[in-house]
Amino acid sequence: MLQDKIKAALAPLNLEKVADGDYAKTGYHLEVAAQPEQMPQVAQTLLDTGCFLESLTAVDLGESFTMVYHFANFFELCRTVVHAALPKPKGMPSISKVYPGANWYEREVFDMFGIHFFGHPDLRRILLPDTVDYHPLLKSFAGDPWK
Amino acid sequence: MQRSLQLEAKTGEPLIHLGLLEEALNLARANSLWPMTFGLACCAIEMMAAGAARFDLDRFGAGVFRPSPRQCDLMIVAGTISKKMAPAVVRLYEQMPAPKYVLAMGNCAISGGPFYYDSMYAIVPGADLLIPVDVYVPGCPPRPETLIEGILLLEEKITKRGRLRKFRDVTG
Amino acid sequence: MEMITRGIEEKTYTLNLGPQHPSTHGVLRVLLEMDGEFITKADPDIGYGHRAHEHMAENRNYHQFLPNLGRLDYLHALAYNHGYCMAVEKLIGVAPPERAEFIRVITNELNRIASHLLWFGAYLLDLGAFTPFLYCFDDRENILDLLERVTGSRLTYCYYRFGGVPLDIDDDFIAGARAFVKRLRSRWSDYDNLVTKNVIFIHRTKDVGVVTKDQCLQYGLTGPMLRGSGIPYDIRKVEPYSAYPLFDFEIPVGQNGDIFDRYMVRLAEMEQSLRIIEQALDKLPNGPIMAEKVPKRVKPAEGEVYQAVEAARGEFGCYIVSQGDIKPYRIKLRVPCFANLSVFPELAVDTLVADLVAILGSIDLVIPEIDR
Repeated sequence: MLQDKIKAALAPLNLEKVADGDYAKTGYHLEVAAQPEQMPQVAQTLLDTGCFLESLTAVDLGESFTMVYHFANFFELCRTVVHAALPKPKGMPSISKVYPGANWYEREVFDMFGIHFFGHPDLRRILLPDTVDYHPLLKSFAGDPWK
Repeated sequence: MQRSLQLEAKTGEPLIHLGLLEEALNLARANSLWPMTFGLACCAIEMMAAGAARFDLDRFGAGVFRPSPRQCDLMIVAGTISKKMAPAVVRLYEQMPAPKYVLAMGNCAISGGPFYYDSMYAIVPGADLLIPVDVYVPGCPPRPETLIEGILLLEEKITKRGRLRKFRDVTG
Repeated sequence: MEMITRGIEEKTYTLNLGPQHPSTHGVLRVLLEMDGEFITKADPDIGYGHRAHEHMAENRNYHQFLPNLGRLDYLHALAYNHGYCMAVEKLIGVAPPERAEFIRVITNELNRIASHLLWFGAYLLDLGAFTPFLYCFDDRENILDLLERVTGSRLTYCYYRFGGVPLDIDDDFIAGARAFVKRLRSRWSDYDNLVTKNVIFIHRTKDVGVVTKDQCLQYGLTGPMLRGSGIPYDIRKVEPYSAYPLFDFEIPVGQNGDIFDRYMVRLAEMEQSLRIIEQALDKLPNGPIMAEKVPKRVKPAEGEVYQAVEAARGEFGCYIVSQGDIKPYRIKLRVPCFANLSVFPELAVDTLVADLVAILGSIDLVIPEIDR
């Protein structure tokens, strides 16, 4: 079973939480919580088990961010969500060396939230123009100051 | 009495009034509008459908969609103008040779449409904030028939005479 | 490629493709660094269609956000409606009745066919063939008429509601759908003769733009881009939702991962959609179209949900974080074209500009979806 395989592969990393998810309610088979520094290793482990990166995003909780990574598999259904709590001024290590597809997702998170990704080859804005100086999805954003 | 009809020139009063020749020129311009392929978002698909076989813009002369702004005289702004796209819209408008016309298609090009809200930051709420618009075609997206009505209205504006008025639901 | 140096300094030059260009499918700008006719680097510049959907989601309540979904990928708007409605239904614990699920599947599959038909016409327009565009827009108009009867719009549908659908389909719709299925089946031979057997088309698309299985895994590709490379991943089969488990259909898969395979996959998918529609019309149950207890003010409990559906372009994922308020706390819309376009710089290296346009078109992009 892929779920058990992933749990076994993640065991040596000593993550905060590796638990079964409530699929009918949330759509996750596995819920994982990790520290930001552990993310590249988690990503490498999941790539080795054959999972692809479904989505990468962040949620602004006011005092901190939660980075949310969704992984799924082409051959067997098992959706893994990885939450990483990121305190506000800190940055996040990039997983784009493991998953090249994460390159654009991380640029989007940088654009919308201002989170810096260490080790990203080309961290610049992707959706908004380069001249803009705000990050719109932060809860403290109140609208375009130049409207 | 001089019976000269003048074009509403965007660049100011015309220097030479050509009288009946101008009327003929206007008729020619109105019946052979060459639109630019400028679909930004969803309205582009309805613009394509208007050019396809069922609704057929070509019977009004406006079927030749040219990709280059230098070769067209009608810019159909079809879709939402984001702030990143706004300089490109203005530049494309400036590249078109006069006489040129602009048709704002869809609610987004008229006033921001469904993307207008209090703390919006991403869009320019209306094409007329950037370039002068001649005809507004509302809808989200407008049916191809609405776009054709918009083009007929533009023809009226150019030639100062209506076409097929008794078949259309127009007043004034 | 042999380089003959004649004592002239040769360097690469930068060419700007778009954002206003007939084959960028919306507003995409690609910065090309070229060495003569060959491309050394392609860098897509997106964001020209950014309309702030995710920010709007935080400023709208759950019902008010429904129209936005149709404007993400306007060609297969019903799948996006479906994903969002299912995600919210999971959060509030409501299940739509069986007839509503069947109606959702029928309209969804009709929309999928319309989307693939439009891709077909627009792609061939990119390659320079004008006739198939007219053929498929004609077929598409039939679908749009059918869907207009029941949804009220031609393009950016907002038809599904939390708990079901608001309007029922009537006998005219069912008869029209059956007639349409029959008519489209008779057109496949036309499309084959016009396009599939066309020598120019085959030369332009065979062995061009090959996507390997490794690239699929690394970039998270989904949809026909993935299935063209040989991986049979379709959410309707792998993670079935709604009424899909009740129908018998296949997942068409390619072998080489080139453009021709992706084209054949999409054509075959249209035929499979016709099969699903037929079976759904045959088995359509009677009953209510809306669940009984749907709250008028949707105020889900705290929690998060991720719902994936198979759209025409790949996997659409709707990730909603709720904190017990009438407005969502965060909605992330995982769109398939974002990941599908991110592999483009790798595919574009060492190709000619004409091949570049062919590859770009075969990804089946809808830029407002990428830009959200």
